[in-house]
Amino acid sequence: MERWTIEDVAQNPERRQLAAELLWQLADDDLLMGFRDQEWLGLAPHIEEDVAFGSIGQEEIGHAALYFGILERLGFGTADDLASLRSVSERRNSVLIEQPNGPGHYLESPRYEWAWTIVRHYLHDVWEMALLTALTGSVFEPLGDAAEKILREKRYHLAHQELWMRTMAGHDADSRVRLEDAWRRAQDWAGDLADLGPYSSALESAGLCPGVDSVVRHYHERVAEMARVLGLPEMRMQTRENGRRGEHTEALQQALDTLSEVYRLDPTANW
Amino acid sequence: MDERLDFDVYEVFAQSDSLSPHVHVFNVLASSPDMAMALAEENFFRRAEFVSLWVVRRDQIHQIGFHDREGFQKTPKAYRTTDDYKYLRDKWRYYRDHPMNPDGSPAAGGTVDGTMDD
Amino acid sequence: MLEETLTDQEAYFLERVDRGDRIEADDWMPEDYRQQLVRLIAMHAVSEIMGALPEKEWVPRAPTLYRKLAITAKVQDEVGHGQLLIRVAEDLMRPWGKNREDIMDDLFTGRLKYHNVFHMATPTWADAGVIGWLVDGAAVITQGMSLSCSYAPYARALQRIVEEEGFHIQHGESICMALAEGTPMQRAMLQDALNRWWPALLMFFGPPEKNQLSTHQLRNIRYRIRSKTNEELRQRFFSKYVHRIWSLGLTIPDPTLYQDPVTKEWTYAQPDWEEFRQIVNNRGPRSEARLGLRSTTYQEGEWVRRTIALSPTAG
Repeated sequence: MERWTIEDVAQNPERRQLAAELLWQLADDDLLMGFRDQEWLGLAPHIEEDVAFGSIGQEEIGHAALYFGILERLGFGTADDLASLRSVSERRNSVLIEQPNGPGHYLESPRYEWAWTIVRHYLHDVWEMALLTALTGSVFEPLGDAAEKILREKRYHLAHQELWMRTMAGHDADSRVRLEDAWRRAQDWAGDLADLGPYSSALESAGLCPGVDSVVRHYHERVAEMARVLGLPEMRMQTRENGRRGEHTEALQQALDTLSEVYRLDPTANW
Repeated sequence: MDERLDFDVYEVFAQSDSLSPHVHVFNVLASSPDMAMALAEENFFRRAEFVSLWVVRRDQIHQIGFHDREGFQKTPKAYRTTDDYKYLRDKWRYYRDHPMNPDGSPAAGGTVDGTMDD
Repeated sequence: MLEETLTDQEAYFLERVDRGDRIEADDWMPEDYRQQLVRLIAMHAVSEIMGALPEKEWVPRAPTLYRKLAITAKVQDEVGHGQLLIRVAEDLMRPWGKNREDIMDDLFTGRLKYHNVFHMATPTWADAGVIGWLVDGAAVITQGMSLSCSYAPYARALQRIVEEEGFHIQHGESICMALAEGTPMQRAMLQDALNRWWPALLMFFGPPEKNQLSTHQLRNIRYRIRSKTNEELRQRFFSKYVHRIWSLGLTIPDPTLYQDPVTKEWTYAQPDWEEFRQIVNNRGPRSEARLGLRSTTYQEGEWVRRTIALSPTAG
């Protein structure tokens, strides 16, 4: 099978552009997911869970750093510039991922919602599991290698969210109502998550992402199976703004302002 | 044989000194925790010393599954160890001999008086 | 416990402590020993829990991907230290029918204090660096002393904690070093942070004893819960850090700070100890905000804890 190295892609403008379309989505999803997870740090409902969830958020940022690192090697600029300085319209993360954990600012009086946090993270993890499994067969070698490594942690993240979903579904009426409510709200935002955007078929035919249709199908099947097992309503995912096309909500601008606040003081300085 | 004798398996954990964690040693067949304790002492500590001994019936132990174990093969995490900060040692040594001025420029002469204890 | 009226059990207990035995959670212990330990360890636990918050403010804002990863790992460790310590405290409180809920309630109602340094504001990224370098540096000095504590579960927890603090300090040093070697704006940020934190760092070790140990201190020394005085620990901090701070061309905001070349003793301007008392009584610059943040989210998370608890807790 043909395998592309960094040089093979960096020196071919068409491949380079196409690989980047996919990498922006992966990197931006994980950066924003990690950012939302980090907002919980020190504040999670149970101290042992605080530590456990802390690793998950950290690993999301670590995965984003791996993807931005590939983009850096493809000549798009430094990973830190890419993470901190790109504008809202350049971002390709799903709008589901950029939504806040709940009302309130992380420094003042956040009213973060655990059920929403878990359901949203669960959907992210199912999507990434499906996508990364396909990407292990990508023609672009560094991406395939990264997918392989990241998948191992993804399985663990997904198992963690699934455990919480089952726990909330089965405990009592209160936790179940909260889970159902979060599940319903997630469908309003989840539409662009399992969408590879305008370059979807080009990504497939180039071999960058093999089997796009079956990735999307696996994702929907796994979510439907969870709904069936837990007795949740079928999730009818809506697309409002489509993050894969650079359409975003107010929440993303606020997140970017925060995550780049220090770096923007002087992007050329050594921090 | 129509009827085999059956026992419980007890896993044995021992602590070599009070600051150390309990470490898994091996296991014994026994019919009660007391019996397991008595047997473990003589089977595994005829030479080594211990300050504390635990026996746990094996079916009381919950083990991580194969796929979950895979999740612990983590992506590199040097950022959470001191490995990435080894360069600091040389920097401190350098600035002890070449201290900075308040504006960050190198000072004209001399070292900072006194020691920098590690 | 008055030494002249010891029961046999108490005398035997003190004999064990004197010969350097470590006490375990289910060993017999005098009620007074248990109380001293709970007082110390619960305070240490909530100091870690509240101590995660000042740096947490900078977690999402950390400048680079690398710093974002490192500071998340660092703050996560602090929460993990809270977990270790609250478990040690819970096991000690069990005979009283109490658990971590009581510790958190005591924190929110102000009955249980937390360390002065975590009441302070952290307005810039440099504050996150100074906390890692110097606050954790100070903490390792006190925790290093407590490794010899007669209570084994606490000593075991501290052993894990001190091991991780090695990474925390170097993480902080690395941030401060980059700022010191950086642009004038970065250096000014670091100097400002040092100015802000210096008095709090001196207060961290508590008021100097001047040969007058409090009854708590005397008991803790008798029980081998602690072995050094506040002033001995503060002197050790000076010896370890002052020259390093100077070598980076930073100014310590105390022109009287001086080490006697012969005795090696440091003289220094006393911080305002009345202010210290105000701060630890939850009247510091950020006490109210951080306690509010922690208690709001704790209440919000109540239903989640109920979801994973065995049975609803009374009250």
